Amino acid sequence: MNTNVRTAAISADGLARRYGANRALDDVDLTLERGITGLLGPNGAGKTTLLSILATVNEPDAGSVSVFGLDPRQPAERVEIRRRLGYLPQELGYHRHFKVAAFLDYMAILKEITDRRRRADEVARVLTAVGLEQRAGTRIRALSGGMRQRLGIAQALLGEPDLLILDEPTAGLDPEQRLRFRELLSDLPGDPVIVLSTHQADDITAICPRVVVLLQGRIHFNGAPAELAATAAGRVWVADERDGRAHLSWRGSDNRWRHIGDHPPAGAELVTPMAEDGYLLLSHAAGTR
Amino acid sequence: MAWTDGHATRDLLAGYAAGTVEAVAVWSVEAHLTGCARCRSALSALVDAGRLARNRSVLLVRVALPHGGLVRRLLCRCGIPDYVLDLVAATPSLRRSWLLSVVGVLAVVTGEAATVKYGWIPVSGHPGLAGNPSPEALAPFLLIAPLLVLAGVAAAFLPMLDPAYRLAVAAPFSGIKLLLLRTISALIAASVPVACAALIVPGPGWLPVALLLPSLALCGFALATASILGSRAAAVIAGMLWVLPALLLATWHVPLAIVQRNAQFACAAVLCTCAVVLYLRRDRFEVGSAT
Repeated sequence: MNTNVRTAAISADGLARRYGANRALDDVDLTLERGITGLLGPNGAGKTTLLSILATVNEPDAGSVSVFGLDPRQPAERVEIRRRLGYLPQELGYHRHFKVAAFLDYMAILKEITDRRRRADEVARVLTAVGLEQRAGTRIRALSGGMRQRLGIAQALLGEPDLLILDEPTAGLDPEQRLRFRELLSDLPGDPVIVLSTHQADDITAICPRVVVLLQGRIHFNGAPAELAATAAGRVWVADERDGRAHLSWRGSDNRWRHIGDHPPAGAELVTPMAEDGYLLLSHAAGTR
Repeated sequence: MAWTDGHATRDLLAGYAAGTVEAVAVWSVEAHLTGCARCRSALSALVDAGRLARNRSVLLVRVALPHGGLVRRLLCRCGIPDYVLDLVAATPSLRRSWLLSVVGVLAVVTGEAATVKYGWIPVSGHPGLAGNPSPEALAPFLLIAPLLVLAGVAAAFLPMLDPAYRLAVAAPFSGIKLLLLRTISALIAASVPVACAALIVPGPGWLPVALLLPSLALCGFALATASILGSRAAAVIAGMLWVLPALLLATWHVPLAIVQRNAQFACAAVLCTCAVVLYLRRDRFEVGSAT
């Protein structure tokens, strides 16, 4: 048997989804392998819709999805996908009167961990993973925004899922917590498929070997962060003064103006682009900014 | 050899630290450790820090988890698995504040019927004064009681009242099973105070039983309709289906007709139809977009 032949862990084919007149997804084809894939795009680009379809909580108007070879349209196969899934929705609701441990215990039951002792072990494991074990007895309404986000990540990790779908997991986390989150993802056992969405390019370059740029419901880029950066090669300049001809320009932390454009501003210096530059250029070309 | 010169051997302490020695040995080691500083320090070098941290976290979690009161222990004794009780406990209409408001509303309508019947409030032109049974006095109670049951059940299945709804949909636990567990417990929780109030309220003795079928039919209708039209519309339509005939019969001076024989037959028919619809459309509760 040839073990080198690997089928894609997840594949989406011709996905489309409308909300009234608004086209959230428009003919999206995507394959995902094991490892971390970052989904980058501005607000309203369709990231949440795409992730909720992959997480089986939303259904596409057209197109099909296959998760580990299973079809979410078939009830039995959908349950099988959910058994292997960890999902962090963008707007995570909580039973606010619940204590942290009780909420995770509740989620663990929904994930079919019915043995009480095993559930307590699993809840302790995920709480320790996100550094919230000291807060096990705190009510959710008393947690800070960052802690609630970590609790959301913790519930997604219950049952060691094979597919982890995280919608804006770093929203509300401070820089140190973001570092811990990146460490947590790279240390997960079993090489799961991880898809995370963000609108911050630095998250992507730091943790994702692969990035997908979604703009206005369509995929505009799919490759390594270095390749995304390379799309802006020869078009990123740094100058002391602002140049009006540039597509985009903003003042950097060194107080100099960073320009993305086709014409070098006067006295400008050509610099090596970053993934963020490539992303901004793509967004500009797509007319979303 | 487990002990040398009155001290525990390294092997025994390592086994104790790893949790692999037998219970009898654990007791003797623990008894010895309380009085022996040398063995305590030898033990601390053998403890796996990672395992200790894990055990500590598990302990913190076990302390934080609800242990339950008398009702929970009683239900567990009756053979209901504890995880079912934990799932059901998240239902809004099983919270104390909800149940208290149900009791409050019932107290008002029951009190109203009682005051009219016993003539504590003089009602001019009212046929049932001075101790005579007055069907009109029952009208508010008959209107409100099944609606309270319906409201409890609706609160148990409306996605907008379940903050963790999307998480529940994405989990493998069956959506219809969760829905039924919650609605049945909400139904029981609301029916008990309603039945008690029906016993107190001045009216026919069969009233507590007569309210059961209409309440069930309303809830069944709401669930079955939710699988077609969505939960919110279903709850509103079910409510209207009770309110309109109840008001109409009250204005015709026959409020009790809503729970009498013909109405009971109609409710039984509705309940059976809805059970069939719910069974056929059960898969609609497994996906998020439908509810």
